[in-house]
Amino acid sequence: MSAHQVDRLPARTGRPRPRKTFYDLIEPYLFLAPAFAVFGVFLFYPFARTIYLSTFLTDKYGNAKVFWKPENLGLQNYIDLLTSDQFWASVLVTFQFVVIVALGGLVIGLITSLLTVRKYPGVTFASASYAMPVAIASAAASMAFRMILHPTNGLLNILLGTRINWTGDPAWALFSVSVLTIWLASGINFIFISAGLRNVPDELYESASIDGANYWRKLFSITLPSISPTLFFQIIINIIGAFQSFSQIRLLTQGGPGDATNVIVYAIYRDAFFNFRFGTAAARSIILFLIVLVITLIQFSFEKRSVHYS
Amino acid sequence: MRKLLSLALALCLLLGVTSAFAAQPATEITFWHSMGGVNGEAIAKMVEDFNAAYEGKIKVNVEFQGSYDDAINKVKAAGMSAMPADVMQIYDIGSRFMIDSGWALPMQMMIDTEEYDISQIEPNIAAYYTIDDILYSMPFNSSTPLLYYNKTAFEEAGLDPEVAPKNFDEIIEFAEKLTIKDAEGKVERYGFGMGNYGWFFEQWQGKMAKHYVDNNNGRGEEPATRVVFDESGGAKAVFEVWKKLIDGGIITYLGRGNNDAKAAFISGNIAITLESTAALKSLLTNVGDNFEIGTGFFPNIHPDDEGGVSIGGGSLWMLNTGDEARQNASWEFVKYMISPDVQAFWNAQTGYFPITVATHEVEAFKENLAMYPQFGTAIEQLHATKPEFAGALLSVFPEARALVEQYTERLINGELSVEDTVTNLARDINSAIEIYNLTN
Repeated sequence: MSAHQVDRLPARTGRPRPRKTFYDLIEPYLFLAPAFAVFGVFLFYPFARTIYLSTFLTDKYGNAKVFWKPENLGLQNYIDLLTSDQFWASVLVTFQFVVIVALGGLVIGLITSLLTVRKYPGVTFASASYAMPVAIASAAASMAFRMILHPTNGLLNILLGTRINWTGDPAWALFSVSVLTIWLASGINFIFISAGLRNVPDELYESASIDGANYWRKLFSITLPSISPTLFFQIIINIIGAFQSFSQIRLLTQGGPGDATNVIVYAIYRDAFFNFRFGTAAARSIILFLIVLVITLIQFSFEKRSVHYS
Repeated sequence: MRKLLSLALALCLLLGVTSAFAAQPATEITFWHSMGGVNGEAIAKMVEDFNAAYEGKIKVNVEFQGSYDDAINKVKAAGMSAMPADVMQIYDIGSRFMIDSGWALPMQMMIDTEEYDISQIEPNIAAYYTIDDILYSMPFNSSTPLLYYNKTAFEEAGLDPEVAPKNFDEIIEFAEKLTIKDAEGKVERYGFGMGNYGWFFEQWQGKMAKHYVDNNNGRGEEPATRVVFDESGGAKAVFEVWKKLIDGGIITYLGRGNNDAKAAFISGNIAITLESTAALKSLLTNVGDNFEIGTGFFPNIHPDDEGGVSIGGGSLWMLNTGDEARQNASWEFVKYMISPDVQAFWNAQTGYFPITVATHEVEAFKENLAMYPQFGTAIEQLHATKPEFAGALLSVFPEARALVEQYTERLINGELSVEDTVTNLARDINSAIEIYNLTN
């Protein structure tokens, strides 16, 4: 598709341009003003305010109180964070969580959509089941999983005949939270990847069949390259979603045991709305912002090389 | 048709306006609380009764504000401009913050003005909210931790179902008899189990007659500056118990807070547990006829500990709105909420203590006690403690409590030794206190 090229108007020629009035000068900015007002109030101002707060210690009402510390140019909050083991543990946990969830959600979404791409009896029911997690609130799912994963009366332990402490054992806690998050994300992955699969032209499969390609060959040589823009989009969405995961951690483990599931977003919540230390929370947010920025840049440079737009 | 409709609407509006003018305007006050579920329904009923009794004079608008944490955060956010409510329920560990904020109107002021007799309030409950002889807030929903056990399991294991374990030596001894394993050696029932709840840690400091923080346990003129449980050995003693229980395979870890432990006790998977007195009613309801529940005092760490429990739960705070009519109305409302009949109803619905001794004479209370004799243990325990074990006051208590829970996990997961746990925990809480004192 190249719709944006079609509606380009031919350049005006021949008539001399009138002299620019004051109105002409400000006109484009007037059009931009509503967008800037919205972005300014909800994005730019909070962002500037976060940077400002991150150089302070706040009082019990959350007001910036003590510039922390002048001899370190107000960077003490950052210095404290970057030199604390707990912060790095939380960064590590976040990365583990994001990788597991982003890839897990993608793989589950891909498998489920491949399973429902052909028509067979019951395919609608299967599709609905795979898409269902989209409609489930993460808080409600977390409460249900809390009961399912309960160490002594949980359904899972009873079914498996095990005595695993799914959320209380540091070896399992991150895994349990990740599985729940993957399941929650699988619905949206399923919907987008299914839509992507329907857009792959049938002629490609036909000519591949004539050439004698088997299912796996078609999958890896036609399907996956054809839906690579969708997969790329889904990976980004999954990564953003994983970075923002909160309610499952809040409800299942509260960041524990120890720091085993203390992802950055949860640590920010803890600092800001539980300990009422907005300064540290703001510093954490800025660091999270930088991390996400770097990841996004990497993703887009990766996109140029590997994603195939037809 | 449309004309007719608009005429009718206009008429309704007019009638509404005139009728509002006709009636004497009642003083409206707002009451914020954090009681969900059955407890919230009880509150709604009590407020409804109050409004009926004071019709035309006072009208209380009751608003549920989510958990205790949510409610105090909302008042923090709103407190900068104007007080969002007239009367507010705040949890025990929010007390120091409320005093420091200066937003509260101490109950003592109203008590002194009216020469209201507060001698009937349980002294061990009032002690918690009294600082420098000033009662800041009115105790309302008070509880202490209690030991609950499965009497039926005790009988099966050949233990006397009338004798509850009194300390951790006995708990371990009983638990070994109560544990059931299947043929493969997997535990089917643990003898003991408890939630990883920072409140218990605080209670055990009091049980050992030790302080949690300096400056008279945070109750002095100056607020606390650091914890003392590291030097006093109090933290070490509690963590050693945790370590012994986990390493000995006597308990399995049941998460932070006590929801999971409660669920495990109800389903019979643990035979002894620790819970608030406020959980009694829901435990009895949920267990039903499956087994019989016994209650005992909150256990000592060592057999010879001589301290006592302190109360937890919430109290009613009057916020300084500057409006005298509303403040007087609020005071009437607070008095109503602690009146014997209302407290007897509250106690029967929830399991929180009746906060006045006079309630013990109310027929409804006596009936409830006869029906659930387990509640007697809670009252005995309350009377057995002393005001000097009223517990610490600390501005950063919510954070400190969360840190205790986090470090308990790091200890039982083998990340830290007992000594390192104590040192690191004290360091982190001290730094929180230091920053708080620096900025406030």
